[in-house]
Amino acid sequence: MIVSRVMRRWLWFSGAVATAAAAPFVAPHPFLFNLLIQAAVWALLTASWDLLSGYTGQISFGHSGFFAIGAYTAAGLAFHLHVSPWFGLVAGAALCSLVGLCVGFPALRLRGHYLALVTLGFAEIIRLVAQNWISVTGGPFGMHDFGTLPGLPAAPLAHSEVLYLVVLAIAAAAIALALFVCEHTNAGKAFRAIREDQVLAESHGINIKIYKLYAFSLSAALAGLAGGLYAFSIGLVDPNLASPLTSAMILGMAVFGGLGTIWGPALGAVLLFMMSEGLRFIGVVYNLIAFGAVIMVFVIFVPRGIAGLKLGRRTRISRRDATQSKQVGAASDSVQQREVT
Amino acid sequence: MLESILEFLILGIVLGGIYAMFSTGLTLIFGVLDVINVAHGEFFAIGGYIVFVAVVLLHLSPVLGILAATSGSFLLGLAIYPLLIKPMKRRLGRRPQGPLFLVLTLGLSTFLQSSMLAIGGGDYLRVPPFVRGMLDLTFTAVSYQRLLILSVAAVSLAALFLFLHFHRQGMAIRAVALNPDAAQAVGINLGMIFTLALALGVGLAGMAGALIAPLFNVYPAVGFAFTIKAFAITILGGLGNLAGALLASFVIAIVETLSVLVIPSQWQNVIAFAIMILVLLIRPQGLLGRADQK
Repeated sequence: MIVSRVMRRWLWFSGAVATAAAAPFVAPHPFLFNLLIQAAVWALLTASWDLLSGYTGQISFGHSGFFAIGAYTAAGLAFHLHVSPWFGLVAGAALCSLVGLCVGFPALRLRGHYLALVTLGFAEIIRLVAQNWISVTGGPFGMHDFGTLPGLPAAPLAHSEVLYLVVLAIAAAAIALALFVCEHTNAGKAFRAIREDQVLAESHGINIKIYKLYAFSLSAALAGLAGGLYAFSIGLVDPNLASPLTSAMILGMAVFGGLGTIWGPALGAVLLFMMSEGLRFIGVVYNLIAFGAVIMVFVIFVPRGIAGLKLGRRTRISRRDATQSKQVGAASDSVQQREVT
Repeated sequence: MLESILEFLILGIVLGGIYAMFSTGLTLIFGVLDVINVAHGEFFAIGGYIVFVAVVLLHLSPVLGILAATSGSFLLGLAIYPLLIKPMKRRLGRRPQGPLFLVLTLGLSTFLQSSMLAIGGGDYLRVPPFVRGMLDLTFTAVSYQRLLILSVAAVSLAALFLFLHFHRQGMAIRAVALNPDAAQAVGINLGMIFTLALALGVGLAGMAGALIAPLFNVYPAVGFAFTIKAFAITILGGLGNLAGALLASFVIAIVETLSVLVIPSQWQNVIAFAIMILVLLIRPQGLLGRADQK
């Protein structure tokens, strides 16, 4: 039974990726492919946030910072040192993983609001560095003309088609890695235990420091990878990548998709990105108004996001999850009461 | 050198007054509702827009403009609790809130900011100074506009303090901040206090936005920089600690303005966040907080 549930999940996942790869070829147009490339990058970025914040419950407002570090590293290496973009992608992810450790280490002591605010401050520092370190980052207007991935065909349509397939493949592989870590390793169980009750998790012998750092560095690395993909597919990096608005969009997409499921936020990112690009035709401002409204409505009324809207057999599983978390909640309540009395 | 230090000190104190009005509102809301209002800066911008409409478009007196900005954002603030926070709290029950309120107010922030962009356009709107002229202090001169900002900030913060300590509803607000369950048990209407605290907090932000409009221009994102700086201030002061927020506002503002003498001015904005991260590492409870606070 369990095997089939696992298999069904991965069948769904590969089916979705295959559909995403094939569908745009029905009406191929460079514009459509460019949109889909961005959607794939957002999906990876949002999934990386979900690994840290949705699964482990460590709320980060600073993923725009990791995203920007990844983008600037990839673009900067290609621009200043002329190294291969592939190396730039890996280097960006690796640097982000290190920075993630550096941010995660002091953050071990912090929870909830404090962590959110510190990561927000971290992203703001990254933004200001990108804006002011002009010789390396190009200042407020950023960097461009640093090339794209090697070996792409020159014709515009073929170029964006191949680029799309490459970006989709990398993003899907990275999302699959996140999903695998969260659902099929002990680390994933530890992440959820930390989210539900840190003290309870620790008392069960889970080394919460190690697992928090693990989540931090893996999540940061994936966000950095998304940044590198963004840099090479859009061809422009500027300090606004690190702005709080980017983090706001990540959070909105993740809540829309359903926290703590990896695939939900990835799907939510694609849908919400396409929705906001579609609304752009009505007016550039209205897509952001709708964005804000969707976030508010979903967080109040549909807290489990679109991942929680599933019908059929899955509802039974989610109900079981609900009773489990209720039991955990009751247990922690009684612990707290004991502490009080 | 000494003269420029004194000059920057005065500028820092005025900036501190604005930070204080902004951050005490944020701290009040956090202390009472346990909600960090990410949309706080948007009410700052709304205050700026109202004063622009009143003073520039309708040619009303600045006093009326500031009053309109304060009451306008106060009235808008009255709607936040019943429309957004209450349904959310009801659905959550006793479960841990996690990031949900941050996400909620982030949505509100995006919504309000882009609505202002849709209505007012993205232009930088100029508001003329409410009072003209400079006060000559021999070594430097301070514009009356800045003195006005400082004095209104002082009066409104003193009024807030008196209200919280001597008025019945103000004492109820402090009671709810201390312990909502106990406050409810003695017959305090929690919903009303939550609504009032939120409206007071964003009303202060609106007033600050109106006051500072002649110095900064008015545009939709004007408040966001203040919001994230106010987070640094509330951390330095200790989350939910009003006196701490007041002190931290002046500390950060003065350090920021004096820093221009030592480091290039474009790095000025990094200081607040550097201080915030240092405080969290060394003294997470803030300047005036006690170790047992949350």
